[in-house]
Amino acid sequence: MGLGSCLAHEVVALNSVDVDFAKGQFTAIMGPSGSGKSTLMHCMAGLDRLDSGSSFVGDVDITAASEKELTLMRRDRLGFIFQAFNLVPTLSAIENITLPMDLAGTKPDKAWLEGVITTVGLAHRLKHRPNELSGGQQQRVAVARALASQPDIIFADEPTGNLDSTTGAEILTFMRHAVRELGQTIVMVTHDPVAASYSDRVVFLADGQITDQLFQPTPDTVLDHMRRLGN
Amino acid sequence: MLRLTLKNLRANKVRFALTTLGVVLAVSFVVSAFVLGDGLRSTFGDVSEDITAGVDIEVRPANDFGDPVPLSAGLVAQVAAVDGVFDAVANIEAPDDAVRPIPADGDPITTQGPPQLAFAWSDNEAVSPFSLVAGQPPGIDEFSIDLDSAATHDFVIGETYDVITPSGRRQLTLSGTSTFGADNDTVGAAIMQMNVAQAGELFGIDGVTTIQVQVTDGADPAAVQAAIAAALPTLEVVDHDTVVRDTTEGFTGEIDIIGNILLGFGGISLFVSIFIIYNTFAIVLSQRTKELALLRTIGADPRQIRRSVIGEALFIGVLASGLGIVGGVGVAKGLEALFNATGGSLPESPTILATRTIVAALVIGIGVTLIAAVGPARRASTVPAIAAMRGTDEATNPGSRTRILSGTGLLTLGAITGTFGLTGAGSTAVTVALMATGAVSVFLGVTLLSPMTVGVITRVLGWPLARLSGVSGSMAQQNAARNPRRTATTAAALMIGLALVSTSLIVGQSIKSNFGTTLEQSATGDYYVTDQLVEVDFPLELPAQIASNTELFDAVAGFRYVETRVDGEIAEVVATDFTQLLPVMNADVREGDLGSSVDKPVLVAARHAEESGLVVGDMITTEFANGAAIDSTITGVFYDEALITSDFLYDESTFDAAGDITGHEWLAISLADGASLIEVDAVMASLSEQMPHADVETTNEFRDRVEGMIDDLLAIVNIMVALAVVIALIGIANTLALSVFERTRELGLVRAVGMTRRQLRRMVRFEAALVATFGAVLGVAVGLLFGWGVVHALPDDFASTMVIPVQSILTLVVVAALAGVVAAVLPARRAGRLNVLNAISH
Repeated sequence: MGLGSCLAHEVVALNSVDVDFAKGQFTAIMGPSGSGKSTLMHCMAGLDRLDSGSSFVGDVDITAASEKELTLMRRDRLGFIFQAFNLVPTLSAIENITLPMDLAGTKPDKAWLEGVITTVGLAHRLKHRPNELSGGQQQRVAVARALASQPDIIFADEPTGNLDSTTGAEILTFMRHAVRELGQTIVMVTHDPVAASYSDRVVFLADGQITDQLFQPTPDTVLDHMRRLGN
Repeated sequence: MLRLTLKNLRANKVRFALTTLGVVLAVSFVVSAFVLGDGLRSTFGDVSEDITAGVDIEVRPANDFGDPVPLSAGLVAQVAAVDGVFDAVANIEAPDDAVRPIPADGDPITTQGPPQLAFAWSDNEAVSPFSLVAGQPPGIDEFSIDLDSAATHDFVIGETYDVITPSGRRQLTLSGTSTFGADNDTVGAAIMQMNVAQAGELFGIDGVTTIQVQVTDGADPAAVQAAIAAALPTLEVVDHDTVVRDTTEGFTGEIDIIGNILLGFGGISLFVSIFIIYNTFAIVLSQRTKELALLRTIGADPRQIRRSVIGEALFIGVLASGLGIVGGVGVAKGLEALFNATGGSLPESPTILATRTIVAALVIGIGVTLIAAVGPARRASTVPAIAAMRGTDEATNPGSRTRILSGTGLLTLGAITGTFGLTGAGSTAVTVALMATGAVSVFLGVTLLSPMTVGVITRVLGWPLARLSGVSGSMAQQNAARNPRRTATTAAALMIGLALVSTSLIVGQSIKSNFGTTLEQSATGDYYVTDQLVEVDFPLELPAQIASNTELFDAVAGFRYVETRVDGEIAEVVATDFTQLLPVMNADVREGDLGSSVDKPVLVAARHAEESGLVVGDMITTEFANGAAIDSTITGVFYDEALITSDFLYDESTFDAAGDITGHEWLAISLADGASLIEVDAVMASLSEQMPHADVETTNEFRDRVEGMIDDLLAIVNIMVALAVVIALIGIANTLALSVFERTRELGLVRAVGMTRRQLRRMVRFEAALVATFGAVLGVAVGLLFGWGVVHALPDDFASTMVIPVQSILTLVVVAALAGVVAAVLPARRAGRLNVLNAISH
């Protein structure tokens, strides 16, 4: 996946970034605030536009896609987990999980859906509305939604940013499980070295450019790298 | 805090402008009613003063029921002989529209709205309102006419014209043209004058209408008035000021009706606007919960916050009142122009903005806005400081205890006052006040209780939407149901509009259907002759004249309506020739018969017989306006009151004995067996020729026309309600725009996970359709209740059973739903255009 520069709010947020995310891999993007990590993810997910260069999901060039094609792409081939406000308050947990498929008018793969729900441990709370769920449970529903349609790639934007460390660890474990056991592909933006250590590969970003990467990270090695980049 | 108030207003400019629109409209209608009335009253006051300038005293008949009885012509000389009287002038007035000249083009002139009037000419220029412009005053078999009518219809002095008069079609020569008062302010009326010696005979008036008195120079009018009153104790003698006042009232009667309609418009817009303003304040403030809580944390006390909100309301109220005053003057001028453009001619009237008008506008505009803002202001001031830390969760309790209690209380109050109003005890004003109070209470009660039904009703209504369009439909339903109070208040305005429309549809349909059935049962005649101009009666001898052709006609009955006093109670009664009755009407006479062998028989209506205890064989005494008192015998009871809407149906013998010469209001004709239809048609055509104001119709034509009249009446009601619906739609658009804004993040989220713009727009439109349909369904439910009440309160002869025009009502609901979709166009477009990224991070 090659990326050019991405203009957000009239500031060059990304500058000649060239990066690929392999299928079946859990990648973390790290960097200090303003490093462009969120922008990078938004551009790859078709939420933001690139000014030059291109971005591919599989063999589809999303930079050439129309607004409508982008929407359908997000619906059918991408999954999202945001830091907060992931769920539609009027829909129950299960309705939130199946929302992308309901929007497409397709039936979810029943066995897969049940597997996902069991994995995230939500079977007994499916009828509850988001405001009846704890923060951790809400994020689990979000993970389940991202997984439910078996997308080509899942983008997670600080998915544990609002959670305490135990709950966060749970969510990250699910995500790693989804990649390792279920063969999903996840790209996660985070600034937390512990969170990044759950991934298979960490990409470091600074001032809109990729500065380094690290495979099979641990919290210590990630911290180490960050310290080095900070200097 | 003042700076904050102004800032908030500026931030929500468009929102508040829309909110204000309802109040501006309401104030405009009220102001225009006053401005129009004041202006015209002042002008007509001047005109009246001008045309009655020479009338110092007027002598009038004093009968307290029935039409004014003409004064004997001999009284004029008697009044003239009283000390201090300089001149006594015989004033003879034809009934409105009874005299109609036919110009050269062949059709009798018609004036739309303004009457056609005819008077006796008087040579006393001081007393007479007329001045000759050209030609001569009318002699015998002559007439004069006002300058404008002569010009409009090309009447030429010296030519002879056919003139329709109460005494038949006459040939009169135009002797001259005249002006009316100094400025010829005829308001579009055609005004004719006849010779004083002939006017009574032409107008069907035996004597004079009033006697106008000019006092001798230097005499004290009050003393002369007293002297005349003493000389003629049975008559009413009034002074100059009374004459001016009554003349003005005669002019402004119709203006007052227009004024009342405008006030009705104003009242409805006002009531509906309260809900919309309330809603806007409630939503905008709930969106500002965080900001308000922040203010509380930094030390603003509740009173300051309340004052800030009330300040906003005050500002809006003042602005709306100001715009409403300007708009009201515009509406008044517009109506005047409209009236003049459609054939009337109102005199140039001054624009009078009385203090009372301005006070009313301010009280209404500011009052309504403040009332609507009090609730939200109180709620805003009680926002706990801690709310600053929390999100703005909109979940509200649909049915708190207070809500249920006050809602039920209001419904009960509405039911009680409504029932009292409908059973019609007391004067018209009391009835109207009771019914209005009942309706308002029911509307408020329903609005308070309806949040509890939002969930269920929107689920039922939303089911087909969810089936049709999947998740957009079901999410639209969830959105409509998520804040039941907001949905209920938004829908309330539409609920009120539709309740009023469906009530009028149901009542109209019930009357029409009942009228059709009873007409089939009781009207057995073949032709009906009715009168387009209600005040003109058919000549007394007309039925006999038609019936004389026995080869064609079996029976011809004419019906005379007169106000009398029966056994001491004033009642409008009907008389006809009993020998002609049976072939044309089945009145379902029981417990007796038409009493062919009894002198002066009378039938009593079944209901009245029961109420009054009158039975067959009883004698009743009927007093007429002319003083005659005649005894008649009850020979039967009639049960079908559909065509005879009166307590008594007399044989003409009683009226004849009383010397009453009132003509027939309508005729029913039954054909002879084997009558040649061609010849019948010829007779009917000649009737129409003779009396251009007569409508000659078959039973079916007659029914169609009456039904058409009911429809026309309904149309006026519906225009009034359309206004409420428009305001309601503004309210829906407003609420929806606010909701879209409030849900920005959520909309961003659903867009991010793959909702297309189209699906999103559809979701917003569906939500609007659901809210609108919810209001429509509630409105129809309330309308059914009101309709049921009104139909049962109406006499059985008008509407015995409630008939529901299902198709029209369903159409209404569908139209309301579509209107909701239209109202949602802009909010939906705005929602569709949201930038996903910005929306998520909102």
